[in-house]
Amino acid sequence: MAKEKTSKAAAPKAKPQQKKAVGVVKQKSQKTAKKPVAADSENDDNDDDWEDAEEEQKKVAAPKAKKADSKKQKVQKQQSQKKAQPAPVEDNSDNSDDESDDPDHGIDYSKIGDGDSDSDSESEFEHEIIERKSKYDKYNNAPAADESDDEDDDDEEDDIDLDDVSIDESDEENVAASSRIRQTINNKEGLLAVLRRFALDVSSATPFVVHQSVVSKAVTEESIPTIDDDLARELAFMNQSLEAARAARKQLKKDNVPFTRPTDYFAETLRSDSTMEKVKEKLIEDATAKKASAEARKLRDLKKFGKSVQNAKLQERAKEKRATLDKITQLKRKRQDGTSNPAGATEEDIFDVAVDNELNKGKKRSAGTGTGGGDRGDRGGPNKRQKKDYKFGFGGKTRHAKSGDKESAGDLSGFNAKRMKKPDSRPGKPGMASGKPAGKAFRPGKGKRKAAGGKR
Amino acid sequence: MASVYKTLSKSTGKKAPTDENDDAPKGITKNKQRVLILSSRGVTYRHRHLLNDLAAMLPHGRKDVKFDSKSKLYQLNELAELYNCNNVMFFEARKAKDLYIWMSKVPNGPTVKFHAQNLHTMEELHFTGNCLKGSRPVLSFDLAFEQEPHLKVVKELFLHIFGVPQGARKSKPFTDHVMGFSVADGKIWIRNYEIREVEKAKGEEGEEEAAKAKKSKGGDRETDVALVEIGPRFVLTPIIIQEGAFGGPILYENKRFISPNQVRSDLRKSKAGRHNARAEQERDRVAKRGLLGLMAGSKREPEALDTKELFA
Repeated sequence: MAKEKTSKAAAPKAKPQQKKAVGVVKQKSQKTAKKPVAADSENDDNDDDWEDAEEEQKKVAAPKAKKADSKKQKVQKQQSQKKAQPAPVEDNSDNSDDESDDPDHGIDYSKIGDGDSDSDSESEFEHEIIERKSKYDKYNNAPAADESDDEDDDDEEDDIDLDDVSIDESDEENVAASSRIRQTINNKEGLLAVLRRFALDVSSATPFVVHQSVVSKAVTEESIPTIDDDLARELAFMNQSLEAARAARKQLKKDNVPFTRPTDYFAETLRSDSTMEKVKEKLIEDATAKKASAEARKLRDLKKFGKSVQNAKLQERAKEKRATLDKITQLKRKRQDGTSNPAGATEEDIFDVAVDNELNKGKKRSAGTGTGGGDRGDRGGPNKRQKKDYKFGFGGKTRHAKSGDKESAGDLSGFNAKRMKKPDSRPGKPGMASGKPAGKAFRPGKGKRKAAGGKR
Repeated sequence: MASVYKTLSKSTGKKAPTDENDDAPKGITKNKQRVLILSSRGVTYRHRHLLNDLAAMLPHGRKDVKFDSKSKLYQLNELAELYNCNNVMFFEARKAKDLYIWMSKVPNGPTVKFHAQNLHTMEELHFTGNCLKGSRPVLSFDLAFEQEPHLKVVKELFLHIFGVPQGARKSKPFTDHVMGFSVADGKIWIRNYEIREVEKAKGEEGEEEAAKAKKSKGGDRETDVALVEIGPRFVLTPIIIQEGAFGGPILYENKRFISPNQVRSDLRKSKAGRHNARAEQERDRVAKRGLLGLMAGSKREPEALDTKELFA
């Protein structure tokens, strides 16, 4: 019982949705079948939209109740609705009894819709506004509580879920085609009416100083290739403003209105001095950073270049060296050939004496060491091989070098019978006598002794 | 005012004197704007700074404390009436990240709700431009504003709110900045530039300096205009237009607008979807491997077409 009651109560409020669905889906049929005057179909559409908008508000007033509706009742309502609907549309022509048709708002929409076509006088319109104002108070009090609902889930409200709306069986295929279409409102007539209500007069009749607004000559978006291109976009915006600034300046100068700020006019600026100081600092910082980075890069490049130069120099030096060596070997070979060929010997002797000398010098040096071939003679020191042999023990075993053998056992060179008589002359015992005992004979190490022995 | 009257009478010189008398007071009364500027609670610092920037640019604006409610916006009407304002610019912050800007003509509409994106305040932009505080801007509108009814309404609102009325209390008598309103990508892009008068480029700089000095004394024939951006920058997407002030039937609804909540949730869903797809794939693979007998415990049923069976 209770359910029945609520559904009955909600029925008139559910009207809008059904009406909307019908409005969208059945527009065609309406136009052809129900509407006798199908002369201006565009106007008809607009009016439908307009009503939708109006109904939207009503719907908001009872957002929860609509769910409780029973299908049957809806269908009934819808039927009656369909019959009733064309009536206000037709009413466009006569303005007089429109007021009674819209009891909830009192806004004469049809009149507004027709506003620009027919010759409604300004005063009449004004009157309308005043009436509306009085209604607004009422309006603001009543549906305001639901506004929050409206705003919180305006996303959900946007697409009208057709499951909620009961549908005639005959309409089903139509609905299937147009299901989940995002319903949007664009009530052009209404917008223009509103605009007329509060617009400033920007025509040429009013002086430019009053409004100082300029409309560009071209659509800015056309000069923007892609919206993501920041530079092109900003340039387009700037050009638009530049054009406006030029036009405004010209116009204001023509009207003798001060435009340029004189240099001695000081006043507070939009951005404070401290902010501008910051901006300046930032600019300087940027500039110095740029400069420093450029300098660093230059240095780096220079370094790289210097390295390459050094490399080139080294290579050149090596090349030169190779060349001289080649020359020398060639000469040497030639010379050898020359000795075998006595005919050329004299010529070479005549011409290449200096080089030969040089060659001989090197050869002599390498020959003096007694090691290695003549080619490698001047690499390293004069007696490198010998030193190495000495160091690394090449050319004989070094083991047991210090152990005693027959020879050392028989070696009595360090022996002195006189010294044996002094009791405190034991070497290596420092506690017995301070410093070296005066009479002690110095015995050199074994290596030295050996060398000395070799000499002897 | 006298100059206004003079120019008016010049332009409509041929008309009857009664008509002129009718016109002049109309001009006076018409452009009398006062804007109530306020925000909701929960604005971020960036929103607040933008609000401050705009308030600094509008000498006819009245900045008020944060408004407490987000649902009972119609209360703003009374508030505006209290402050003798006939325009309201209300910054509504949602979830401490999304900013919606409501602009409204107060006693009887319309109201436009915008979604504000890409906010850049004057401070953070580091532009070199500057202008007098409270000087009247030139408002530069894109031609696109004249082509659609809803944009016409938006333009008119901008004209009322951002245009400083002549002779406003703290306004300066010179014009040194332009506000640009452009439509691109279904959004309204707002820029603010300083008008700088420069020489027409022709000679050396020293010469120019001299010419400038001359110009400031007398004739200024040779100057041209250059723009230097001041800031702030922001982009507005109109969402709805209501007929009344913070109420009334909706006259326009932007079908291209997707709420940031929707965007975020879609992102999240797509991310979740990625995981789901992967999980599904994994499951399928396991099943397939089981079917082929490749899993550790499973064994494949011998089939008639197996090599073993065929060539047994």
